[in-house]
Amino acid sequence: MTARLSRDGLDRLLSLLKERGHRLIGPTIRDGAIVYDEIDGAKALPIGWTDEQAPGRYRLRRRDDDAYFGYVLGPQGPRNHLTPPIETLVQIRRSSLEIDPAGPPPRARPLALIGVRACELAAMGIQDRVWTGGPFVDPRYADRRQRAFIVAVDCLDPGALCFCASTGTGPEVREGFDLRLTELGDEFLLEVGSPRGLEVAQALETATATDALDKARRRALLAAEETMQGRSRGLDLDGLPELLFANLEHPRWQEVAERCLGCGNCTQVCPTCFCHRVEDQAPLHEEHAERVRSWDSCFTAEHSRIHGAQFRPQTRERYRQWATHKLGSWVSQFGTSGCVGCGRCIAWCPVGIDLTEEIAAIRSAPAEAAATERIVLPPARTYPKVAGDPMRPQLAEVVAVRPELADTVTLHVEPAGPFRHQPGQFCMLSVPEVGEVPISISGQEGSAILHTVRAVGAASRALCELHAGDRVALRGPFGSAWPLEQAKGRNVVVIAGGLGLAPLRGALRELVAHPENYPSVRLLYGARSPADVLYGPELLSWDRSIRFGPETVSTAALAGHVKVHVTVDRGAPGWTGHVGVVTALMRRKTMSPHALYLLCGPEVMMRFVLAELDKAGVPPENVWLSMERNMKCAAGFCGRCQYGPYFICKDGPVFRRDQLAGIFGREGF
Amino acid sequence: MAIARASRPRLGVFKLASCDGCQLTLLDLEDELLALTGVVEIVHFPEASSAMAPHGPFDLTLVEGSVSTPAHLEELLAIRAASRVLVTIGACATAGGVQALRNFADHEEYIRAVYARPDYIDSLATATPVADHVAVDFELRGCPISKAQLVEVISAYLVGRRPDIPDESVCMECKRAGRVCVVVARDQPCLGPVTHAGCGSLCPRFARGCFGCFGPKERANTAALAEQLRVRGADGPEIVRTFRLLTGWAPEFRAESELHDDD
Repeated sequence: MTARLSRDGLDRLLSLLKERGHRLIGPTIRDGAIVYDEIDGAKALPIGWTDEQAPGRYRLRRRDDDAYFGYVLGPQGPRNHLTPPIETLVQIRRSSLEIDPAGPPPRARPLALIGVRACELAAMGIQDRVWTGGPFVDPRYADRRQRAFIVAVDCLDPGALCFCASTGTGPEVREGFDLRLTELGDEFLLEVGSPRGLEVAQALETATATDALDKARRRALLAAEETMQGRSRGLDLDGLPELLFANLEHPRWQEVAERCLGCGNCTQVCPTCFCHRVEDQAPLHEEHAERVRSWDSCFTAEHSRIHGAQFRPQTRERYRQWATHKLGSWVSQFGTSGCVGCGRCIAWCPVGIDLTEEIAAIRSAPAEAAATERIVLPPARTYPKVAGDPMRPQLAEVVAVRPELADTVTLHVEPAGPFRHQPGQFCMLSVPEVGEVPISISGQEGSAILHTVRAVGAASRALCELHAGDRVALRGPFGSAWPLEQAKGRNVVVIAGGLGLAPLRGALRELVAHPENYPSVRLLYGARSPADVLYGPELLSWDRSIRFGPETVSTAALAGHVKVHVTVDRGAPGWTGHVGVVTALMRRKTMSPHALYLLCGPEVMMRFVLAELDKAGVPPENVWLSMERNMKCAAGFCGRCQYGPYFICKDGPVFRRDQLAGIFGREGF
Repeated sequence: MAIARASRPRLGVFKLASCDGCQLTLLDLEDELLALTGVVEIVHFPEASSAMAPHGPFDLTLVEGSVSTPAHLEELLAIRAASRVLVTIGACATAGGVQALRNFADHEEYIRAVYARPDYIDSLATATPVADHVAVDFELRGCPISKAQLVEVISAYLVGRRPDIPDESVCMECKRAGRVCVVVARDQPCLGPVTHAGCGSLCPRFARGCFGCFGPKERANTAALAEQLRVRGADGPEIVRTFRLLTGWAPEFRAESELHDDD
């Protein structure tokens, strides 16, 4: 349905939406800008105002008419309301760990988003893929999004920083709206885009649309597009991901880093940025701890921090991460570029860094063919859906705590609800006042799920201090699994370093238990010292010929299908086994190119192991490895564990080596 | 999970050269204060109580103020020796404070010019942060510190974790709160992009640029900010004044201001 709506009709439309229970969110003037916030009605709109924008500069200016939507874009948009900057996810009662003891939070009034531009609709479509398109759906986002009534507005007067014509995301509003308005002189052309839009439109006093009005719309849109095309600013998306990933060492990244304040403003005004923190807040006087998510930015140190180390310490690496993600790896992750051409990152950068200029500079002088291995950007994948709210933990009872090493225990936990996992996956475990950490699943015994935890930080220390009968909050399982199905009928070599044996143990138990499927299994395991050898008795039960220490059975190897070789970096009195790094063990054996290799350990150890496997001619398709980054949500929402085109939490942690070509071992990823 | 303890951790609160504002933040906790006294034993806190036990020992000590006199230095060494965890609170303790402006000037000349009896004055030539003299377990920034962050620091130490105090820019707080950037929309000089968050973007809320009360953020690109001030029309002295205020002695701000100081 298409119709004409008078200027007064707009006010009626907004009142109607309010009467239908919507909270009106629209453009309004505050603090020298057109912000996007709760409004009362049409009178709160920026009538007769426009905005002038330049890099690092934004000013309001009076128009010579009374247009309602005669401005371009303010610093905020629907993102501020669909993914609130600070949001409580769950409450956890301190005394009992009960989750949301007062029941789920009351459902907020549905939003009515007024004046949404084409670029913002495109951005909402992109955010949909982040929050609902992966293995998990965030129920908070999904609920707000589904119930939001969208009154979109065509852009007839693009701003100086707009480049949506080049990104194909505007200026015309084409889809994804309930109602669309085109402001033409002193009336609107109204288009209905959904059944609920029709319901509202029918309740309005409208007139029949005329051909002339429709033609005026087309002309105005064409002019808007031509205006943008007439300017030099634009983004050529063609082949952009490949271009950027072929230029990771381009000098331009350093040049822009010298001007970049690293403040994060670009990411906070970007309508598609989604990275956030997830932290537990437990103020002294509150009975409940709250798990809260808040907007983060890849420009903060916290974003890539893990175990006290940072993967992107330099601003150069952070800017590069932002740009190569937004315009490059985004395509692999979500099937679309992350840029909608709104120009906000240019206007609201305090030093006026212009993303389009930076990209143009790299495009005009690409680096010579890089000597380093090219990163493979896979096409976007679809994920099998997992039901439920991934951010809501379940209670699990600690049924046993088995001491492993001086600082390491294995927790046997029984989740309250159903739990199915595959070896290689991980859970998020938390002691709510202290924090939540990703811990790999290291096996299952009966209904107990095993997690081997080393006390390295506060949260892992708190986990190590738990006793049988205590409770933990658990989320998961998450992530990919070891390829046990593909391993059937093949020789399998498992190479582990230190605590890296834990994520492999579940797989090893399968391999050990099923000689009919796995004819030959060899484990090469390196630990720092004899006191750091994990699961010693179990290793012995797999292969009684291990030379291990004085207590070792020194009989000839039993005729098993499992061979275990253990080495330590430094020996100790009584140690009769190998001394040396795990790669030295590898050199003593033949590494068959046809075997399947499963690796987990510190990255530096894996790097040396991969080099040995290269020497042995093992093709990358036969090598799988488990990776770790800063996983906070574990559900693919928070963006913190990004690793090139991947999220460790949903695409990993187990990767086939060829997936990581060019990324593994590279600084800044 | 409530942490049940037979004996409560012992808290000490001390001040060196400072205005007491950060200690007042502790008294200002109101709701949380009662809870606090339930979980810690306040052993020494002259601002709040005349019952004093300055020799500790303390499980957690909060130190306000900068080291400004020889007596401060002596006292600080004793405080450190009596404290298991020492947290400095506020711009004075973490960066020298506003009194560290004297570090840029001739101390002797000031004493002669200001005091009728200069011989009564026994102060050091510089006002310096606590961490210049003793090991500090955590530095809580701000002038004054933020109530919420103080609660976070105390809560964190009670359960033995690192406080969750992001070292991001003030801009992050500004944007989360939905404020309009005063640099971009109003051309205000603002240290926000290079300043440690924590104040809740107080000044931008009132359409003023950030004064840098919380000191430099992690990886503060002060050179780029100085250039932005220059392009906006600021001259050398204005750039110096912008960086040299409550946290002007913090290494990053100090180095930048010195680059523009022709005196």
